[in-house]
Formats: sequence, C-alpha cells, structure tokens
Amino acid sequence: MAAKVSFDDVKIGDEIPVMSKLVKREEVKAYADASGDQNPIHQDENFAKMVGLPGIIAHGMFTMAHLTSTLTSWLGDPAALKGVDVQFRAVVEMDETIEAGGTVAELDPDARTAKLDVWVRLERGGVTQYPIKNSTAEVQLG
Amino acid sequence: MALNTALIGKTYGEIDYVVDRDAVNRFVDAIGEQDPIYRDPEAAKAAGYAEQVAPPTFITVIQIQTSGQVVLDQELGLDYSRVVHGEQAYHYERPLVVGDHLRATPRLADIVAKKSNEFLTITSEVHDAATGELLLTTRSTLISRGTGGA
Repeated sequence: MAAKVSFDDVKIGDEIPVMSKLVKREEVKAYADASGDQNPIHQDENFAKMVGLPGIIAHGMFTMAHLTSTLTSWLGDPAALKGVDVQFRAVVEMDETIEAGGTVAELDPDARTAKLDVWVRLERGGVTQYPIKNSTAEVQLG
Repeated sequence: MALNTALIGKTYGEIDYVVDRDAVNRFVDAIGEQDPIYRDPEAAKAAGYAEQVAPPTFITVIQIQTSGQVVLDQELGLDYSRVVHGEQAYHYERPLVVGDHLRATPRLADIVAKKSNEFLTITSEVHDAATGELLLTTRSTLISRGTGGA
C-alpha cells in the first residue's frame, strides 16, 4: 500500500493525467440510489427547471468522485490520497463531458508529500466552466 | 428567514454504520470506477488491504444520515429546497474497506452569512467502532440561498 508515484519524480508545476467522463442520466440516477441522495434536481427535469436550474444536474459528489478517481488512478493507491478539499462552483448537466486534473503546487521533501491544485472543467457553448475549482488535494508520494 | 445561529456547536446523534459489500458495489458501479481493488476482494488483498476497498468518496453514503440530521433539525429553520452543496473536504487516515464498523458524530460547526446566503459547516470525525481509531474527518459546507438577509 503505497503510491506508485515517487516523490523524486515530481516537481512543482507538473500536471497529472487528465481523465474525462461523459455524464449520463442513467449514471446520475444510479448515483442517487447508491448514495441515498434522492434530491429531485438530480432526476426530475421539470422540478430542476422549476427551481431555476437549466435541467437535471449531477450531484456535486458525483463530480467529486470523478476527481478522486483521477487522483487515485495517478497515485496507483487510494491510501496515498491523504486529503481533498473542494469547492463546487458550476453545475454539470446531462450528456456533458467533464475533465478532471490537477497541478503540483507544493512539495514537502521531509514528509514526501505534495499539495495539488485540482479541478473539474467542462466546455459549454464555447466557454470553459469549472464545476470544481479553488480546490486542493494532499498526497503521500512514494 | 435567517438560520438559528444559537445551534452553532451542537452535536447530533451518533451514526453507526458497517461498510457493506453490496453498497460498495453499487457505489463503484455508479461512479464508473474501474480499479479492481474496489470490486474484487482478492485484488484488494493482493494490494495489501484486508478486504475490498471503498472509494474515497464512499463516505458520502453516511452523510445522508449525519448531515441529514442537521438539515432536518426543526430548530434550525432550514428550507432544503434552497440548499446547494458548496464545499466538501475529507482527510483520511486510511481507506475504508468492506466490514469496517464506523461510528460518526456530526457537529454543526458554523453558520456564516455572506451577502444574501448563509453557509452552514457540518463536520464529523469517523472512528472505527471497535478500536476507536480515527479513520477520517469530513467537512461539508451547505449554502442556504437567500436567507442571509443582506
């Protein structure tokens, strides 16, 4: 149980591999059932519009799960993910493609840890939106 | 209507939860996670874990019960239809695995008004029920839209 990424191979400014995902309505429904969050804004088009949303939106935690998958996929072990602290800043609609990634921002050579700036973004009408931004992750490197 | 700030610091009922294989399987399918350590106990054991691993955000399944108690507290005066999830933080001591028996106590840590909104911060420490060992801490910030009064 240790990160497959060595501290010695990482430097400030490095970007981790970006992972993209097409967000499907069936998956968001499955997420509602798996997480227990049955808020109708994640399932009911009319309800979502009634409360001022463009349509059904994904759970913030659904989007965060894609971010943590991206991080642990890079690290090679979830035990290397020590912390994650995110802000939800934009909605994710159905059939949009989200991309998650991050940049190494700080390194601690004694602890062999790194702090990353992390984000989830998408393109909507030619504009880049950030469903997750101003967010960080702490990782324990090998 | 503004929220009841007299409740800041209140702790809510302790949650008892055993990480369940079916629940992990459903969660892993829903998020599309492909790493076999989250799907196959043998793959998890080969990687050094005691059992099938729960993904980092799996703990959200108990937040329905932890944060839920705060959201539904009649004395708080929160209208859930105004609520959006603003921030979420997790700090991990180790990944959760199937069979972990968890105990968590939610706390309404803060209520802050910013412009027309109010920000509620709910924290919890999740411990191993058998050993008392701290497994992770969670911090959620919910935004109550339009109740800040400014």
